[in-house]
Amino acid sequence: MASSSSTYLVAHEVSYAYPRRGRSGTAHAVDGVSLAVPRGSFTGLLGPNGCGKTTLLKLMAGVLRPESGTVTLEGRVLADMPRRTAARHLAVVPQDTHPAFDYTSLEIVLMGRHPHLRPTQLEGPGDLAIAYESLEATGTLHLATRPFTSLSGGERQRVVIASALAQQPDILLLDEPTASLDLGYQLEVASLLRRLSRDRNVTMVMATHDLNLAASMCDALALLRGGRLLRHGPTSEVLTTGTVRELYDVEADVHFHQAAGHLTVTPVRRVG
Amino acid sequence: MRGLLGVVLALLIALGSGCRNAAPPTPAKAQRIVSLVPAVTEMLFAIGAGPQVIGVSSFDHFPPEVERLPKVGALIDPDTERILSLRPDLVVVYGSQTDTEARFKKAGIQTFNYRHDVTDAIRGTFDTITALGAATNHDAQARAVVEQMTTGLDRIRMRVAGLPRPRTMLVIGRQPGTLQGIYVAGGSGFLDEMLETAGGQNVFEDFKKEAAQPSSETLLRRAPDVLLELRSPQPAGDYPAGDLGVWNTLASIPAVRDHRVHVIVGDFVVVPGPRIAEGVEAIARTLHPDAFK
Amino acid sequence: MMAEGAAHTALHHALRGPRPIRTRLVLTVAGFGALAVATCVLAPLVGSSSINLRRALDSSIPFAANVDAQILFIARLPRVLAGALVGAALASSGVVFQALLRNPLATPFTLGVSAGASLGAMLVIILGGTIAVGPWSPVPLASLAGAGLAAAIVYALANGPRRVMSTTVLLLAGVTLNAFFSALIVFVQYLADFASVYRATRWLMGDLDVGGFAPILAALPLVAVAALIFMRLPAALNLMGVDPDSASSRGVDVVRAQRWAFFSASLATSAAVALAGPIGFIGIVVPHLVRLLVGVDHRIVLPASALFGASFLVLCDLLARTLLAPVEIPVGVVTAIIGGPFFLWLLVRDA
Repeated sequence: MASSSSTYLVAHEVSYAYPRRGRSGTAHAVDGVSLAVPRGSFTGLLGPNGCGKTTLLKLMAGVLRPESGTVTLEGRVLADMPRRTAARHLAVVPQDTHPAFDYTSLEIVLMGRHPHLRPTQLEGPGDLAIAYESLEATGTLHLATRPFTSLSGGERQRVVIASALAQQPDILLLDEPTASLDLGYQLEVASLLRRLSRDRNVTMVMATHDLNLAASMCDALALLRGGRLLRHGPTSEVLTTGTVRELYDVEADVHFHQAAGHLTVTPVRRVG
Repeated sequence: MRGLLGVVLALLIALGSGCRNAAPPTPAKAQRIVSLVPAVTEMLFAIGAGPQVIGVSSFDHFPPEVERLPKVGALIDPDTERILSLRPDLVVVYGSQTDTEARFKKAGIQTFNYRHDVTDAIRGTFDTITALGAATNHDAQARAVVEQMTTGLDRIRMRVAGLPRPRTMLVIGRQPGTLQGIYVAGGSGFLDEMLETAGGQNVFEDFKKEAAQPSSETLLRRAPDVLLELRSPQPAGDYPAGDLGVWNTLASIPAVRDHRVHVIVGDFVVVPGPRIAEGVEAIARTLHPDAFK
Repeated sequence: MMAEGAAHTALHHALRGPRPIRTRLVLTVAGFGALAVATCVLAPLVGSSSINLRRALDSSIPFAANVDAQILFIARLPRVLAGALVGAALASSGVVFQALLRNPLATPFTLGVSAGASLGAMLVIILGGTIAVGPWSPVPLASLAGAGLAAAIVYALANGPRRVMSTTVLLLAGVTLNAFFSALIVFVQYLADFASVYRATRWLMGDLDVGGFAPILAALPLVAVAALIFMRLPAALNLMGVDPDSASSRGVDVVRAQRWAFFSASLATSAAVALAGPIGFIGIVVPHLVRLLVGVDHRIVLPASALFGASFLVLCDLLARTLLAPVEIPVGVVTAIIGGPFFLWLLVRDA
């Protein structure tokens, strides 16, 4: 086990089952998963639908409390930390954001400052500067006063990422950040995240079902199936024809693509 | 043989009398009466048709005999089935109960249509009593009742004639314990006429409706000299002790200032029936106590 | 270097962009506050009859003999204050319920609180009742109890251990309760005698003529408690309004915030309905008008709605008691005539 300075966000044997009314004995969405995310890494949580990657992401973000096991941040148990304190280190980018009210992009980004403010404190000029800077980092400064709901899918995701950046987190957890985007926007957001990971030294954990996206962005992968962790390690080691078959029952060609600069996965046929 | 003859004879007589008498057999028919209107029930008993009454409304309480009679609903919920099961030959309905009335007519049952008069209401009451007398073959008694009522009212008029008529407010509804939801008698209808007959002047005379809902401001502006609350005995115990004290908030009203806030409890003040004279007398005694010593 | 460049851009934008929230909040509260104060001061001067203001304020005339003073201080002033209190309570709880249900079309009456209040009032009006507690007379007291019961039922149905309140369950429970209680109300009225039905119907139309300061003082503590809770909610409501999961990851205890929001908004609504009967449309028209003027940030919308709600209802009541003088239109009718078409327009606009 690596020293605590390099393993940053760690899940120890966590399990979680969604509470269901009147029904007992439901299968666990996440079952005894242990995962250590090193500082500065870009880890992908991969697996088919229902494998538990979103649940694991929420557990590691502290949005859900594990039934058993613990999640620790720099050695401290996340569930015991005050929410505000945890929020200063961890930020979440959900898959879709559908605000119930007509907030502007700037208002949404400013909400990222909430953990840094006292309960009834209002944002000041400093917070405003951080918000503008976050918008700029995601290339959405020109959308600041536009209503969020009037933006395109790609623009929205970038504003939401800006909003998470405004939290000035050490770790960013993203749930399928490009799932609802067109190809062009997918590449846009992917390159943005890569850049942020490098330039700002933000640790990233991303749940995705897109193998090629994961290969292009992540230096480490955790493969999940049925709530259990199958494999975890560097991308080049984990992403193989064998693991793809294990995970998806699909025969695929996995090779390093010169022009793209990363591993690519091309599905061939179904098996098993 | 004898039985068969009896039946044939009866049939012949029935047919024969039918042929001879073309006039409607109405007066003889009303032997089983159901009344949905409390005022009319009282009238029926007053003119001696009480024994012919076999069913009354859910809100009937006078005379005491009606408590033993089956209750068949009222204005909004007449129990047609129940009424039909009593096999009446005359049903007293409200003027607005057109559907119900049509149903009885279809069943071949006669109906008496009660119209609630807003203008000339007291005269309307007399007319109803007279009409009931005709429908139930108690014309003579009906005339007597009307005469009795007329005489009683005239007597009261004489007593209060020439006396100054106090500006009076008749409160017919109020939420207990508060000054909210106040209903007063307006410038038309039997309550207004009762007040006028009793020697009072309705401060809401210009409201040409039977009832009005004045705000506190209007009450203060109208500034009646006498405030009369009329309450029916049911439901009982609705008003807690000391309830009249709520009027003290409006201290500038002369009635409150001069302690002329009164309550009259009784059905006779809210039912436009044969006991109107009693009601008028109760009001007159309150307005002009000295005239009745 | 990049940081400097970013700071420059940020400053540039700050100069051209929207005013900072602190400024906006102060301006909004000052503006709407001034409107509320002006309304409450001027409204008692207008009424179905004209009063001599000098006479009314002449302290040398004994109060009991001074009709103008009585009209001003007993007939009109309590009415205006009740209107301000009820308007503020309904408008602000409208904002909170809309945030809780994540739906701008929600009203304070959506979750059945008003239906429960109405049933309580009906039962006492029709069956008779004399239980009074302190300044609470029978009907408002029963109304409060009914509202509390309805809120408790909805809360029990929508709440689970360590679970976020499902807005779907809240809505379904509320709609069901509304239908159920409304049916009971009709049933009770059906069994009642005419006088009681008149009084019951009158109560359902809403009445700000509460007849004195006592009922207002009785309702005031409840609304004050709700207001204190309201002051701590807006930031959380903003965050939850964007995305409940993100809110959680930004330090908001979503479950707790929902419970406090539900409790405080139900409390304010219950007190308002117990005091003056169910007056509709305030809880939806005012928040929407305010949002059109000041944006959707709850930290501004909530206090602004409370203040504007007060002015709005006082003005509606002013119209109600002067338009067809001396006949009074029930204030709920005026708010409906203004609010109904507005609500329809909102639906059409959002469709």
